[in-house]
Amino acid sequence: MAAETSIGRAQVRAERLRRERQLQHLIQRAIIYALLLLGALIILVPFFWMVSTSLKVEKHLFDQPPQWIPDPIAPENYIEAWEKLASIAPGLTFWRIMGNTLFITGLAMFAEMFSASIVAYGFARFEFKGRDVIFFIMLSTMMIPATLTRVPTFLIWKRLGLLNTYDPMTVPAWFAWGPAYVFLLRQFFLTIPREMEDAAAIDGANPIQTYFYIMLPLVKPAFLAIGVLSFQANWNNFESPLIYLNTTQMFPLILAIQFFQESLSKEAPKWHYMMAMATMMAVPILALFFAAQRYFIEGLTVGAVKG
Amino acid sequence: MTGDPGAFATYYPTLLRYIAVAVGLAALMFGVYRLLRRLGVKREPATGFVLVLPWIVGFLAFVLFPIGLSFYLSFTEYNVLWDKPRSLEDPLFNYKRALSVKIVELPEGQRPLQALGVLESPSPETVRFRELDRFRWGNKTYLIGATDPFFLKAVWLTLRYALFSIPLGLVGALGVALLLNQKVRWVGFWRTLYYLPAVLPAAAVALLWFWLFAPTSGLINSLLKPVYQLLDMQPLGWFTDKDLVLPSFVIMGLWGVFGANTVILLAGLKNIPAELYEAAAIDGAGNWMKFRHITIPMLSPALFYNLVTGTIAALQIFTQQAFIPTNRDDGWFVNWFVYNEAFNFGRMGYASALGWMLTLLIVLLTLLIFRSSSAWVFYEGMRRDRGKG
Repeated sequence: MAAETSIGRAQVRAERLRRERQLQHLIQRAIIYALLLLGALIILVPFFWMVSTSLKVEKHLFDQPPQWIPDPIAPENYIEAWEKLASIAPGLTFWRIMGNTLFITGLAMFAEMFSASIVAYGFARFEFKGRDVIFFIMLSTMMIPATLTRVPTFLIWKRLGLLNTYDPMTVPAWFAWGPAYVFLLRQFFLTIPREMEDAAAIDGANPIQTYFYIMLPLVKPAFLAIGVLSFQANWNNFESPLIYLNTTQMFPLILAIQFFQESLSKEAPKWHYMMAMATMMAVPILALFFAAQRYFIEGLTVGAVKG
Repeated sequence: MTGDPGAFATYYPTLLRYIAVAVGLAALMFGVYRLLRRLGVKREPATGFVLVLPWIVGFLAFVLFPIGLSFYLSFTEYNVLWDKPRSLEDPLFNYKRALSVKIVELPEGQRPLQALGVLESPSPETVRFRELDRFRWGNKTYLIGATDPFFLKAVWLTLRYALFSIPLGLVGALGVALLLNQKVRWVGFWRTLYYLPAVLPAAAVALLWFWLFAPTSGLINSLLKPVYQLLDMQPLGWFTDKDLVLPSFVIMGLWGVFGANTVILLAGLKNIPAELYEAAAIDGAGNWMKFRHITIPMLSPALFYNLVTGTIAALQIFTQQAFIPTNRDDGWFVNWFVYNEAFNFGRMGYASALGWMLTLLIVLLTLLIFRSSSAWVFYEGMRRDRGKG
């Protein structure tokens, strides 16, 4: 009898302990999710506010308390912003600016991907005298700030007579101007077994064929990763267009937005138009991000984790 | 502003030159390969060198030559409208002008400018010391004067920005990464969500936060209204208040980079082998011990990478500044300041000298981080080597 109760008591105690542990676990989970949710709010509220503002009519911009859902909804802001711009700079239309932006981004991105992968292949796969020194120099150039080369590079383009053209933003991309991309691709090439190329060489492929038919398909994830990074960087590139372009109609989107801010939104900020333009600037990048998320994260983490 | 030649006329010359350069580069690579082979270089080294050649050409033309030119220009006076730079009587004038600082006593009844005087140098123009700050010591007032107070203020603001934003960003990102690593559901969803701000273009981020922080009717001040009423204080001016410019930029910067750092650190966390934690648990290690002796050392390369890239980026903040017109007195970062010296005030020589000083600062800080790394960054491969030896 006595033994039975003591067993019973032990069972009860074990049960209680189990429940306590369960409760503790539950509380821990609840705290984790609450924190994550708080972070999500901090991230999403500004996003929501950007889109919400872009759809408001001017008189509701400064409502107190703030109007969260625009009423009435004014999608015409997205068109009117461009009409305002066209009114001070004839010919500056949405399509023109989009064309400029895509022209710069496309050319720079293509050349950058192409040259970075060739250079990375050279660094990763071929032994030659001074290779490691050259590679080290290349990595050190990442420390050189744009401030240092900005003035002399401007003077070079000025001497070449190519100011106010798209050349400074596109042509130098052929020379593998992004050390980070070369580094990233090199890390990937290094992971590919040598037998691949040996087999290709035995089959009589020359280095160019080996590169295009064997190596490039194998590093496709890294190649696409630098593709999205490069698209993002060139789409957002502000400094070079700011320095080199002065014909308003030639501006890429980012510079058109700044032009709008400087000329039309200086004294009395037109926040609804500004947010509409900011949203237009962000949408292609966000779309690309959702479509190719894997490659964004690949590109971001490879330097830190695999390097 | 020059006339607009139309879309086609602006695209096709660039396109032609773009193709020409590509063809020329390919021809150069081919030519150098043939030359090397004829000189008796073996096939492999010749191919490797030729593949790296585009970068070498670009480095010479767009990095090394500009650096040299910039070095030369930093000892000259060069207005962008002139044909060529003019040499300075005192070659170091640009550097002196940027860095000269002195402390003088302010006599009763004298104006600060008078008391501070001018820079003594055989210079093309008179450069006055201007008041940077003043302090009282005993019953006398002292002035700190500088020949370019704006530059020093910009450097100081940039350094403080790096000092606050980088550690806060890393610690915060580490916290979120640790949370996400706790077997939470929908990791992919949370990761995407937290990464979103890092994808948003810097220009859009800057415009958005300029609007959120607007003093009279920005969302943040609207939401803080009850707090203001409770504490009986004026709404904060954020970007327009000289004391709050820095925190405002830091908050905006944190919102922007948080997600990217989190993703990097999370990938690092996922790379830590579970056996390490199991072994530690068998040895009776608690959560803190595991964190301190496994997580941190194993994560240190990722933290190190973040620290280096974060420092280099923070010292060069540029685009955000262009969209947030802050007061030059207290709210300009050094990169923006140098850009304006060169392209708005046309002082190419002076801007080159400033660029050199900024570069020196970045290199010094980076080297400092690299030197410190042997004390706290842990590479698994290196440990194994040492074990063998």
